[in-house]
This record gives sequence, C-alpha cells and structure tokens, in this order.
Amino acid sequence: MKALILVGGFGTRLRPLTLSVPKPLVDFGNKPMILHQIEALKAIGVTEVVLAINYQPEVMMNFLKDFEAKLGIKITCSQETEPLGTAGPLALARDKLIDDSGEPFFVLNSDVISEYPLKDMIEFHKSHGGEASIMVTKVDEPSKYGVVIMEESTGKVERFVEKPKIFVGNKINAGIYLLNPSVLDRIELRPTSIEKEVFPKIAAEKKLYAMVLSGFWMDIGQPKDYITGLRLYLDSLRKQSSPLLASGTNIIGNVLVDETAKIGEGCLIGPDVAIGPGCVVESGVRLSRCTVMRGVRIKKHACVSGSIIGWHSTVGQWARAENMTILGEDVHVGDEVYSNGGVVLPHKEIKSSILKPEIVM
Amino acid sequence: MGGSEERVVAVIMVGGPTKGTRFRPLSLNTPKPLFPLAGQPMVNHPISACKRIPNLAQIYLIGFYEEREFALFVSSISNELRVPVRYLKEDKPHGSAGGLYNFRDQIMEESPSHIFLLNCDVCCSFPLAEMLEAHMSYRGMGTILVIKVSPESANQFGELVADPVTNELLHYTEKPETFVRVSDRINCGVYIFTPDIFTAIQGVSSQRKDRATLRRVSSFEALQPANRSLPSDFVRLDQDILSPLAGKKQFYVYETTDYWEQIKTPGMSLKCSGLYLAQFRRTSPDLLASGDGTKNAAISGNVYIHPSAKVHPTAKIGPNASISANARIGAGVRLVNCIILDDVEIKENAVVIHAIVGWKSSIGRWSRVQASGDHNAKLGVTILGESVTVEDEVVVINSIVLPNKTMNVSVQEEIIL
Repeated sequence: MKALILVGGFGTRLRPLTLSVPKPLVDFGNKPMILHQIEALKAIGVTEVVLAINYQPEVMMNFLKDFEAKLGIKITCSQETEPLGTAGPLALARDKLIDDSGEPFFVLNSDVISEYPLKDMIEFHKSHGGEASIMVTKVDEPSKYGVVIMEESTGKVERFVEKPKIFVGNKINAGIYLLNPSVLDRIELRPTSIEKEVFPKIAAEKKLYAMVLSGFWMDIGQPKDYITGLRLYLDSLRKQSSPLLASGTNIIGNVLVDETAKIGEGCLIGPDVAIGPGCVVESGVRLSRCTVMRGVRIKKHACVSGSIIGWHSTVGQWARAENMTILGEDVHVGDEVYSNGGVVLPHKEIKSSILKPEIVM
Repeated sequence: MGGSEERVVAVIMVGGPTKGTRFRPLSLNTPKPLFPLAGQPMVNHPISACKRIPNLAQIYLIGFYEEREFALFVSSISNELRVPVRYLKEDKPHGSAGGLYNFRDQIMEESPSHIFLLNCDVCCSFPLAEMLEAHMSYRGMGTILVIKVSPESANQFGELVADPVTNELLHYTEKPETFVRVSDRINCGVYIFTPDIFTAIQGVSSQRKDRATLRRVSSFEALQPANRSLPSDFVRLDQDILSPLAGKKQFYVYETTDYWEQIKTPGMSLKCSGLYLAQFRRTSPDLLASGDGTKNAAISGNVYIHPSAKVHPTAKIGPNASISANARIGAGVRLVNCIILDDVEIKENAVVIHAIVGWKSSIGRWSRVQASGDHNAKLGVTILGESVTVEDEVVVINSIVLPNKTMNVSVQEEIIL
C-alpha cells in the first residue's frame, strides 16, 4: 500500500527552528516530526511513502536514507518546481501512487500529529464503498478552520464551509485522507486546493465520507500549538501505558527522556516535558511544559517552562526561560539571564535579559 | 622607489558565516562580502581600489566561507578587473594577525616588498597609493589608515594617539574603559606592512607558547582572562602587535579626510551604498543613471541601474537608489534611498523609501515599503529578505521580514520570522 505526505514549503511559522532543518525534520517528542507519520504508516502495512516537497530535497533525502533502512519502508521524494497547493502534488506523484493493485492510498499532512487510527480508516473506507475518506476532528473553535458538514450516521459528507461565521458544525478536516486511485483523475497538474476544488466535487457526487478521529489531534506548525501538541501526545502515550515515559521521584506527570540524556540531582521535571538525545540537565533544574532538543545543556538551578530549546543550545546557571521562549540551534543563554518569550535565531549568545517577547536576530 | 622589484600584495579579510549575525537577515541568503553596494559586491570596492596600487602583483581574500561560495566570484572578478584574485579559506580562527601569518607562504610567494591588509566590511575611499607613498617615507614596519571622528562616536573605537609631526603611532588601546578621551582619531581597518610584520607576529606566538609551557604559572595568573585560553597561533593585530609596539618607531599613521564607515548591519549597508554612489559621481559618473522622465525614468541624485533592469519611464528613482540585475520597476513607482536586489518586481505606483528589497521579491501595486531612515537603528531601515511578497496596497514600515513570507496585512515596527 502507498502513501503521500504533503510536506510543502518553508515552515516559516516554526522559525527559528526551521532555519536549521526543514520542518518535517524538526524533532517532536524526541523524533523528527515526519517519523511519527512514517511509523504509523509502516505499522499498517504501507510499503512506500512519497514525500511531496518543494524545499531542500537533498537534506530530506540524506536524512531519510537512514530511516529507509532501519524501518524497512521505501521513501521517495516528489519535488514541486512551483508550489502546487494541497492537491497538485498528488497529480505530480501520480505514477508513484498508482500500481496495478488498484488499492487506495493515504495522504497525510506533515504538520499534523495525531493518534493515526489508520487501520480503522481502512475498514471504514471499505465499508462505505465511496471514492474517498477523510478524517475529521472535533475542535473548540471551528471558525478558524474549514468545517465539514456530514450526515452523522453514515459519515457521508454534504459540504464544506470555510471559516463559518455562525455555528454550522464543529468537525474540521484533520488532514488525513484515504483515496481511491480514481481521485487522481480529478486532479490536474497545476496549483490546486483539495479542500476547495477536489473534495467538494466528490461530495456532490455523494462519494466522500468522513470519519471522526477519536484521540488527540494537533497542527503543530507553530510554536504555541507545538507545545500544546506535546502535552496531547504524551497524554496519549500515558493512556497506552507506554514504557517510553519516565518515572521517578523527580518526575511529575508525563515526561519523555531519551536514554542517552543525563539528569542531575535535585531536579524537578514535568509535566509535559521531552528531553532529547545527549542532553545534560544539571542539578537543581526545574523543567515544565517544554521541549529540550538533542545536545542541549541546562545548567544548574535553571528554570525552563513553556518553551522550546533548540539543538546544542545551553541555558546558563540560574537562568530562566519561559512564556514561549524559542531558542534556535546553538543559542547560549548566559548565567542568571531571564527570557520572557525571547525568540532567538541560531548561533547567538544572550547576555542580557529579555523582559518582554522579542525576536533576537 | 617604485622600481620593478617593488611588488605589492593586498590581503582582504572577508570574515565568515557564523561570526557575524549582525548582517541578518540578508546574510541568510548571501555571504556579506558579496552583498551589493552601489551595484557591486561589497568586496569589489576594496578590490577595485587595490588596482590603483602601483606594481600590484596579487590580491588574496582570506575568510571562513566555503571555497565554493567564492570560486565563481573570484574567477569572474579576476577576469573582469584584470587583476589576479585568489580566495584562501582559514581552517580555524587565528585572529586578525594570525590569519595573515597563517598564509605567509602564499603571500610571500612573489617576494613582495609591501603587503596591504584591508577589512572587507570597511567603506571608504581606500587611498592606497597615497598610503604606500607615505609608508615608504616613514620607513617603519607598518602604516595604519586613520580618520578623525566626532568625540561621541570615538568612544566605540580604540584609543589611538599619533605624533602630529612624525605621524608615528605613539599609543594604541582597544576600547578603553576610562572616560577621559585624549584622541579623536580611530583605526580604519586598512593597513600596509613590510614583510617584517611576519617576524613580529611570530614573536608573539613564540612568547605565548613559552609562557604556556612554563609550568610555574601561579594559579592567579592562570585565571586572568588574557592568559586563559588563547592558543599560541591566535594573534590579534590590535592588541598583540599595535598596542605593544606603539611608541617604538615601528608603526605610523596616514590620515584620510574622506568618508569612512563600518558595514556591520543591513542598515549600514544602505548608507554605504549611498556613499559609494556619491563616490561614483566624483570618479566614474558614467556608471550612474540619468533620465528626465521623458524617454527614461526621472532620476534624482545618485542612482545605479543595472543594464538588464527594466524601469518604466513614469517611475521616479533616487536619490541614493541602486537597482540590481533583472529587476522590473513598474509605472509610477517611487524609489528613494533603497537597494533593490536581483529579479525584484515592483508593481505600479508602489513606494519604497529607506529599504532593502530582497532578491526575487514582489512589491504590490500602491503598496508602501518604508522606514525612518536611521541607518543605525535596529528597525531604522526596512529589510525584506529573499522572495518576500508584499500584496497590493499593504504598508510595511520600520520592519524586517525574513525570506519567503507574504505580507497581506500592514505592519509597523515588527520582525516577521
């Protein structure tokens, strides 16, 4: 079975992290974002994943070669020379997605982190016999998104409403699709939107069905949602009693610690923290609701909350980083410095406090 | 003097990628030395100035950038200016003098009698031939280009004192802490040396090596920042050579009364582009554009337009505008004090004042991209990175926009990541 992951472009909303690596390779929960999706696809028997990208294909392919071998799944890139929107890339990758088996193929959006009940989705798709299935998720603020209006009992999609001003429903497109190869015949090789042009046509022919995603869902394309998404992800690991979660007297709530990371004495870690490979957390450190990426050193007595600390950065002794502080790669926060929402580009030293949210270039 | 044996070599320090973050966001897309000022890469200006040195044998560019980033530039500039230019990549930081010493074999290959050392990110008239003449009359180890500055701005620079009659360098310290300032002259970052500079640099290296091997260094001494971690091959020109040798009849100064600025930030690059345009007006006015709004666009003040750029006759350009290759300037556009980079499209009736518009960007109709014009302020010049789109009628004021963003709402005083 095959799958396409829409990787898209520059990931500007996740800067400064995406100044160092392309967005799908930014770590989430101690592994590159895109690996969560690839592993979920592999688990249900997908044998080939096509990445639709238009930025830095060499960096992506170098990285993915490692995972191809380790995971035993074929990974290829389909490179857009101009941005093709959310449907165009499918037409571009047509030859890679269709084979003689006539099986449907998955399409995932690379910014999305969720439970990925893909096996259930295959069953759902078979049972309704339609041309396309989409996953929808219930949200609190549907007006920010495109709402999917569907028949509750069958899931048959009636129509889409973009950013509705009155309440029409609270299920939105979750960015996970299972499509029959015939859908590709509806897509031309030009910039096209799947939500605005392709799905409405299929819905009109009553061949589009929606399945409500149980479990968590988050679009982690920007830092605020990334931090919320980590909480939801770790929560789902807890529900599955995952052995990956840490435990101990210095751990509160859900915490992920890579086995190569070191944590000192007298620390208090959690809730909702991910500590990556090779990190050193010295003694007396408090970490909560934050991500600490590969190779970071948090020095003694420091305090980090609600923040993302990028690869190989350091946080000095008694320093405090909070309120959506985002440190890019190789950023060094001096001893005793306070950062309230500082967003710092790679290769910088922060020697004086940042009292209100500010971008440091 | 000036016989065929008196060959001169010039060395231009171009720096490197992670060292300077102050040139962001422009340095995210291009090495700073290759950023265009008045239509030519920054490093072209000192290179062209070197051409005026009598008996110039070779120019070396020394930096930390990968060789491939400079390969194309170096071969084309060698051809274009008919002067041999080579790029040498430093493997690790050696300090400003250590870098020179590191490549002494190449520099001394043609047995030059004099060696110029220039910093690429200095904007000035580079009076190199006059400096050489002065240096030869002083007969010292080196001559430093200096300039008088206002007392207020002098404080950011080192303290430099010279004898008013003999021009000997009497005293030099980096960024002194005392409040009493005795001198208003500063080091411009342009030097000329005789080959015995290498002996002086080696002296500093050996001295440091000897001190390091002396095990009986007291624990207090070992903690002093100056001694702590400098490897023996890391030699700084200012602290390690000029300061100790000041007052020993080794170094002299030559004063320039022309302009001088350091090009550390994008805002300053706009100011320096203007300074070079003014220089072209004096020395090569045919490089500048002209027009009165009839057949060609109306030009005010000093303006550079690349031959491949297309400018609508109803546009008004300048003063201090520089338009790069393949840019397209639409009808009724107004450009003032700005740098428009390659492949930019500016649509009808847009206005750009005190800004730098990055490569391949698109500025919409009736939109406005402007800033206060304070070249020293963080947001005093609006900078649009590569491939930024400003939609029709949108206003972007005193802001910095990183590459690949689309501005569809107006902003002021913001950094858009």
